[in-house]
Amino acid sequence: MAAMAEGERSYFDPLVLARLSSLYLKARWVVEGMMSGIHRSRSKGFSVEFEEHREYSPGDEIRRIDWKALGKFDRYFIKETEDETNLRATLLLDGSASMDYGSNGITKFDYASILTASLAYLILKQQDAAGVATFSDRIDSFIPPRAKRGYVFEILRALESHRPSGDTNTGKILQEIAGKMKRRGLVVLVSDLLDDTEEILKGLRLFRFSGHDVIVFHIMDSAEIELPFDGNILFEDSEEPNLKVTADPQTIRQVYRGVVEEFIDHVRKECHAGMIDYQLISTSTPLDRALVSYLGWRG
Amino acid sequence: MSLFFLNPAYLFGLLAASAPVIIHLLNRRRIKRIRFPAVKFLLLSQKRISRTKRLRHWFLLALRTFAILVLVLLLARPIFQTGAGLFASGGPSSVALVLDNSLSMTWSRDGEGFKQAKDAAARLFAAMSAGDRAALVATNPPTKEPPRLKREKEVLLRELEGAKIGDGSADFAAALARAYELLREPAAEKEIWVVTDAALTDWDRFNLAGLKQYDPAVPVKVIKVSAKEQPPNAAVREIRLRGQDVNVGLPTEIQAVITNFGASEIKDVLVQLRVDDQAKEQKLVSLAPRGEVEANFQFVLARPGSHTASITLKKDRLAGNTVTNFTLEAEDKIKVLIVDGDPQTSLVSSETFFFTRALNPEGAATASPFVATVLLPEGLASAPLESYQAIVLCNVAAISDAVVPRLKEYVRRGGGLLIFLGDRVQAEDYNRKLYDAAPSILPARLKDKRIVSASALEKVERIDTKHPVLASFSDPILLESLKSSRVAGYYRTDASGASALIALGNGDALALEKKFGSGRVILFSTTADRDWSDLPVKTAYLPLAQSLVSYLQGGNKGALDTGVAVGEPKKFTLPPAYVGKSLKIVRPDQREREVALAAEGDHAASAFNENDVAGIYRVSAPLAANAPAALAPVYPVNPPFLESRLEAISDAELAARLRPARAEIVSIDALAKGGSRSDLALPLLLVLIVTLVSEGWLAQRFYG
Repeated sequence: MAAMAEGERSYFDPLVLARLSSLYLKARWVVEGMMSGIHRSRSKGFSVEFEEHREYSPGDEIRRIDWKALGKFDRYFIKETEDETNLRATLLLDGSASMDYGSNGITKFDYASILTASLAYLILKQQDAAGVATFSDRIDSFIPPRAKRGYVFEILRALESHRPSGDTNTGKILQEIAGKMKRRGLVVLVSDLLDDTEEILKGLRLFRFSGHDVIVFHIMDSAEIELPFDGNILFEDSEEPNLKVTADPQTIRQVYRGVVEEFIDHVRKECHAGMIDYQLISTSTPLDRALVSYLGWRG
Repeated sequence: MSLFFLNPAYLFGLLAASAPVIIHLLNRRRIKRIRFPAVKFLLLSQKRISRTKRLRHWFLLALRTFAILVLVLLLARPIFQTGAGLFASGGPSSVALVLDNSLSMTWSRDGEGFKQAKDAAARLFAAMSAGDRAALVATNPPTKEPPRLKREKEVLLRELEGAKIGDGSADFAAALARAYELLREPAAEKEIWVVTDAALTDWDRFNLAGLKQYDPAVPVKVIKVSAKEQPPNAAVREIRLRGQDVNVGLPTEIQAVITNFGASEIKDVLVQLRVDDQAKEQKLVSLAPRGEVEANFQFVLARPGSHTASITLKKDRLAGNTVTNFTLEAEDKIKVLIVDGDPQTSLVSSETFFFTRALNPEGAATASPFVATVLLPEGLASAPLESYQAIVLCNVAAISDAVVPRLKEYVRRGGGLLIFLGDRVQAEDYNRKLYDAAPSILPARLKDKRIVSASALEKVERIDTKHPVLASFSDPILLESLKSSRVAGYYRTDASGASALIALGNGDALALEKKFGSGRVILFSTTADRDWSDLPVKTAYLPLAQSLVSYLQGGNKGALDTGVAVGEPKKFTLPPAYVGKSLKIVRPDQREREVALAAEGDHAASAFNENDVAGIYRVSAPLAANAPAALAPVYPVNPPFLESRLEAISDAELAARLRPARAEIVSIDALAKGGSRSDLALPLLLVLIVTLVSEGWLAQRFYG
């Protein structure tokens, strides 16, 4: 049992995942692994050959009848298109320089990328539409949500091509993306939220006002939470080179932890108040927990 | 009140107290750089850290530093002392008490200093606990018995009671060497106490680092017995002889040089001269600040031989040696037998006239150390030669056969023979009897008589001024006078002019010397009167005649002897016949000592070292056949002149001379107030424990 538990845990271990070469493999590894653990029956029969049809019912447009199926089965089938999916999920991945930090072998960005890829894989696998946007102080790439087959590779390409850099301007970006999204859906923000907190919350609320459901995956490195360093250290900010501070972590650790806790509490409370799902995830947390929390939301 | 350490070397560990601060600074220097995304939280945290928290950090640093300081102090064993302290309370102690009993202690604190020093030492001995040991080490030990550590305070107090002031300087080097030797025995705590008047003279020549063996870990405590105000302080620096010799019946002049050591004038000091225990003369002198004055005395000694004398200074409260001893060796008048070989009816034309007048120019019996007796050659055979110190033959034709052996024996036993030649001299007779016939006493064989014309007179050319007879002719006036003499006639000899005392311009010898037995013979190849030269009417003739006779009689002159300083050895030199014999010496304290004489070169020699009491020492030598001991039967020993100087060394200089030992200098007044000592080890241990516990608790509370 212990060996199995160990095996299961390593299945989602961010460090193990980091060693896999492609993001697709990583995403598939996570999702299949999770599914085999939680929803083994649902994955049965899944195949890339599968196409979904439904029987024609009065009111359906004639042009949407699959004539080949009629010839084969002598019955009317309607070809389901993406418009027919229940969910349009837009995954927003913070690609700023602050995400390029990792104290335990995996950076926040790598972790967030795998998480985003896994979510996209999962969403698409569930026949929902998934899109992705990467941003720093601007939108670096935007793949609108689709539910078509093979779309996951397009998303993964976008994720893989991005390297974390630049300042964050999450609040402004959120407002910008909110303006682009015409239809209601699910917005998933994967970010370390190290920006103007009020602006970020303002952007998230904007999604809510537009009728979107919003999930925030707050990615933090354990070192950012615990401040485990020793000795005198000159801390240089990842995004603003002029922002420096020399501190003895031992002296300020207790206070620092309090400050971080306050920050998290504040974000959590505000999200709760704005009916936004908030999930704090440390980069040392196995990835399935994040997916489970998504599935929990998805019902 | 003072604080000192039993293990001061550990105090170097105080440098370790800076370790926390240095580590802190090094940590600041070795700063790591980290790129970190959440710098804004760090900034916020720093703002929130209150001043109190920062103070806590520094407080912990201070506590750690303090803990190291206390630990180091604990290892160094601090002792807190109030007053002068006595025996250490840390355990059984060994103390060597060095008591300065040099002469200068006589005058410290108006004569009370030595008593107070002994009282201080008695207090120390009285404070001994059961396990303590102490020894009394005197700087001027009365005996050679080495001191040792004792537990019995009664014995120590008795020793102290018997301690007396010596006449010499304090030998701190020897005393401290003895003290360190004693303290080599194991003890929990060791100390050296020195009770001294801190006289500059004694301490000026001392340097602890110069000792062969010392232990810098043994602390030295100096109790200074000195007064702020100095009394009048003067002493006799020197006694010297004025004029020439010390002769019986002639005025003897001596001069005493008196020094004022103080910065104030000393008026009306009575200076008394005593000779042979009788007051001879006294004078009143005033001494300028730090100045000197000379007091002159004149007196006549009635008998030959040794005389004891002293100069005494008298003045109320006068500090310094007041009695300075000296001895006088008075020579009896020198008896000279002059044989006139060419007597004339006129005294002036007599062969011996000039020579006799040269020995006593004034003619008065009390005016000259020489007593001349003139004889005709015929009288020589019956004359008692031994009663004369010198015999002078002037132009004597021939020496009778009866006289020759007597004359030779006279010279061999130490008599002096001076021969002047002349026209009556039978050279063959002289050569045969005095030169050819053994033993030969004539300095050279006489050759032919040479008479030169008035136009070709011989000049005196070369004079051996290194010879004792002619030493006075280094004076240019006398030299010129002698050289201006012209010689018309003389006997040539077979001796070369180079070996002559005086030689003529042509290289012929004018004066030659020969030693025979204990006596000497000098041959003058010309006449004693003006027959063959004009020397008798030259200025140089008088000193030459006197010098020749003095030399021939053995060179014995009366003398003044100021002796040796207390503690210095007295050296004796006697004829070789005394090797293996002993001198008997009676000290002023009537203790008798014997000193063996050993061979040293061609004579017997010895040195007497126990001159540790000032006064007159009497010496007697055993009789030795045929070798009269030219030994003064008395010699004086005086305190060292500078021992009278009361000037004290400064505390800083004294401490420097005791370096590298840890020296503490306290006044005897401070000791009189008493005091106590406390070992601070236990209180410091408690402080250390409290500090460490506090540090641990606070660190846990602040950062745990």
